[in-house]
Amino acid sequence: MIINLNKKEFRDVVGIVSRFADKRSSTLPTLSGIALIAGDDGIKVRATNLETGVDMFVEGTIKTPGAIVIPSSVLRDISSSFSDSGQVTIEHSGDTAIITAGTAKSTVKTLPFDDFPSLPLPENPKTTFRIPGASLVSLINTVASCASTSTIRPELAAVLLSSEGGHVKAVATDSFRLAEKKISIKEKMNNFSILIPARNALDLAQTIPDTDVEVRVDEHQCAVVWGKNTLTTRLVAAAYPDYTQIIPKSFTSEATVLRKDFEGALKRTAVFSDSFQKVRLGFDVKGKKLALSAHNADVGEAVEPLASSLTGDSLELSFNFRYLQTPLPLFTSESITLSAGGIGRPLVIKGVGDQSFLYLVMPMNQ
Amino acid sequence: MNKYDSRELWEHVLSQVELSISPANFNTWFRESSIVKIEDGIVYIGVPSQFFRDWYLKKFHPLLLKIIRGVSYEFRNIEYMIVKDASRKPRTERRREPSMEMPLDEFYINKSDNLNPKYTFDTFVVGSFNELAYAAAQAILARPGITYNPLFIYGDTGRGKTHLIQAIGNQFKKLYPNRKVFYLTSERFSVDYTDSIGSGSANRFKEKYRQYDLLIMDDVQFLAKKEKTQEELFHLFNSLHDNNKQIIFSSDRSPQSIPDIADRVRGRLSSGMTVDIGEPDTESRMSIVRRKAAANGVTLGEDVIEYVATSVSGSIRELEGVINSVVCHTQVKGVPPDLAEVRQSLRAFSRPTKTVSVKHVVSKVAEFYGIDEESIYEKTRRREVVRPRQVIMYLLREDFSVSYPTIGSKLGGRDHTTVIHSCEKVKREIVDDADLAKEIQDIRGLLV
Repeated sequence: MIINLNKKEFRDVVGIVSRFADKRSSTLPTLSGIALIAGDDGIKVRATNLETGVDMFVEGTIKTPGAIVIPSSVLRDISSSFSDSGQVTIEHSGDTAIITAGTAKSTVKTLPFDDFPSLPLPENPKTTFRIPGASLVSLINTVASCASTSTIRPELAAVLLSSEGGHVKAVATDSFRLAEKKISIKEKMNNFSILIPARNALDLAQTIPDTDVEVRVDEHQCAVVWGKNTLTTRLVAAAYPDYTQIIPKSFTSEATVLRKDFEGALKRTAVFSDSFQKVRLGFDVKGKKLALSAHNADVGEAVEPLASSLTGDSLELSFNFRYLQTPLPLFTSESITLSAGGIGRPLVIKGVGDQSFLYLVMPMNQ
Repeated sequence: MNKYDSRELWEHVLSQVELSISPANFNTWFRESSIVKIEDGIVYIGVPSQFFRDWYLKKFHPLLLKIIRGVSYEFRNIEYMIVKDASRKPRTERRREPSMEMPLDEFYINKSDNLNPKYTFDTFVVGSFNELAYAAAQAILARPGITYNPLFIYGDTGRGKTHLIQAIGNQFKKLYPNRKVFYLTSERFSVDYTDSIGSGSANRFKEKYRQYDLLIMDDVQFLAKKEKTQEELFHLFNSLHDNNKQIIFSSDRSPQSIPDIADRVRGRLSSGMTVDIGEPDTESRMSIVRRKAAANGVTLGEDVIEYVATSVSGSIRELEGVINSVVCHTQVKGVPPDLAEVRQSLRAFSRPTKTVSVKHVVSKVAEFYGIDEESIYEKTRRREVVRPRQVIMYLLREDFSVSYPTIGSKLGGRDHTTVIHSCEKVKREIVDDADLAKEIQDIRGLLV
């Protein structure tokens, strides 16, 4: 195989694709490589970790077709220094690849292409839809951090993506907190509901462009296609809990505060949280204050009441401060509303005037 | 080696494969796979994802086939299935978290039949108030489609109708794994129908519902006034019933009392077995409290159970609400509450006792029937006055627990036996007379 490529373009593509190469050393060595496949349809750059996989095309001329696998770390380190728009030549001979850029020449040991897996595409896509890449990225990035990191319940380690009645929503929960982001879609779209493993979803969000992408889905696999490029990921085939039943419909106490104030106060109070990362949140209706406080026997204690508008009953709840912190950067509005349903019931946080994002967090035992 | 034991067969396959491919390949591709089943000479190998299936087909298929045929020529082929994540790993001990968890486990609803697995007969408390309904349910499960078809269950909200009919569905699934169950609410049926008309797929809609062996429709009273949906239900009913497919309905009132529903539909609803679920008696309530608390891992004292069961009147749902707050109290404080604490927290739950002036009731009822308010208090026995007067007595007694003598004296000095007679009369008539029942419903609405 001999191919000629544009240096800068090649650098960008390798930068994206190398994210999908397997970083664990325990598995098949070839999975830690990037495959370059020069065939009739052009030059493909491919990587996969058997969870997700990506195929990206790069412009170039093919002198002799063929396929090789180069360790992704080596290829990325070499190509990352390509800054001008000159040409790079990659030549395959025996079990080495010769990469020539200007006067620089490197000879790299290759990995066996025979062991390199193919990328599975949905066989009979049940659903196909188009969505702006930017929307998909925002949906995933908003909620994915709330997915469970444990694999005991695979459906909770995934992001739910579903469409119904002109809305597309993404949901993730680890059973201690839950995030739901909704966007409305102008185009008509069939109803669907898929579970993308959260890690794969984040890789996906970092890769796809802002322009429209096409998503094809079958029971076990999902492919995102833009231009000639394809990204494919495994789906979780399990039932997702009907989480809407957990979202309380009525509240006993509600407080509206400036997001910046709350964020700052939480940061300062959290210094004094204990080993369980506990901070207390007090709704003081008479005093019109929302108070954050924490107590740590070894460090000391802190209390910070915030001016806020409150309705309902006075109440005090404890939370893991990290669970309160996560959603704050995700709100676009200036102020947020915290609604509590009483002791032992979840707290709901929403941006004022923003119906698109909802965050729900369970309190700690007192 | 037992060649029909899938585990032993798989171990044999693995030992052979290990010799033929590199350790890295072996570890990557074979560690998470297994033989799921052997059927009709086809060996089904379960793999974690499509990456694996594609690669098995491309790389290992001939090798595996050779090994398996080497064991026995009975094995004709190998198929690869993607194993669902849920069934792969048993749940292991989870780490201790000081935060409370959402009760997500209760909300896994099976998409293909809509049934919520939390509703089973194991958690269903049978008492004198629902034993007839329970018996009917068991009879249906023994001979679906034949014994009582359709089964119509009605009763006030929060009496456990949904629990019972979903439990029938879940049990049916267990007993007859090859038959299809579907649960839906009448509202969903009607939305589905409207959607199918909108998208021009009415035929697919018909097909979809005719395929089920057991169809469970909840809250059919909401079909009132939806004529087209009723017609669709009528046809669906005929087709299922003719094929001896079991149908179950639930409603908050009897078929006769559902207003604005076509007679032919009404007739069909009540053509099988119609049973009602009454108000649970104290013993059943106690049993429910005990069961629910135990399900949440809380053991309550007998005095607490009795207190909760007797002091919370109304639906089982309200009872559950109280138990949940008790459970929550236990989780927060670490110990189950004693009688005094429960009494304290129950205060928030107890409904404000309804108090009402007789005059208010009289004026509302008189207004409803379009008669002069004064005539109620008079001694007249005109027909158009007698009925409203009896209704007033009935309402004062039933809803507001006013004593018979008080009712008598407030309504123009009547004897308490007259009042008793009137109340009994209305109570009797209400059972047969749907119009009267509806009138009283409507008046109750006015009085709130």
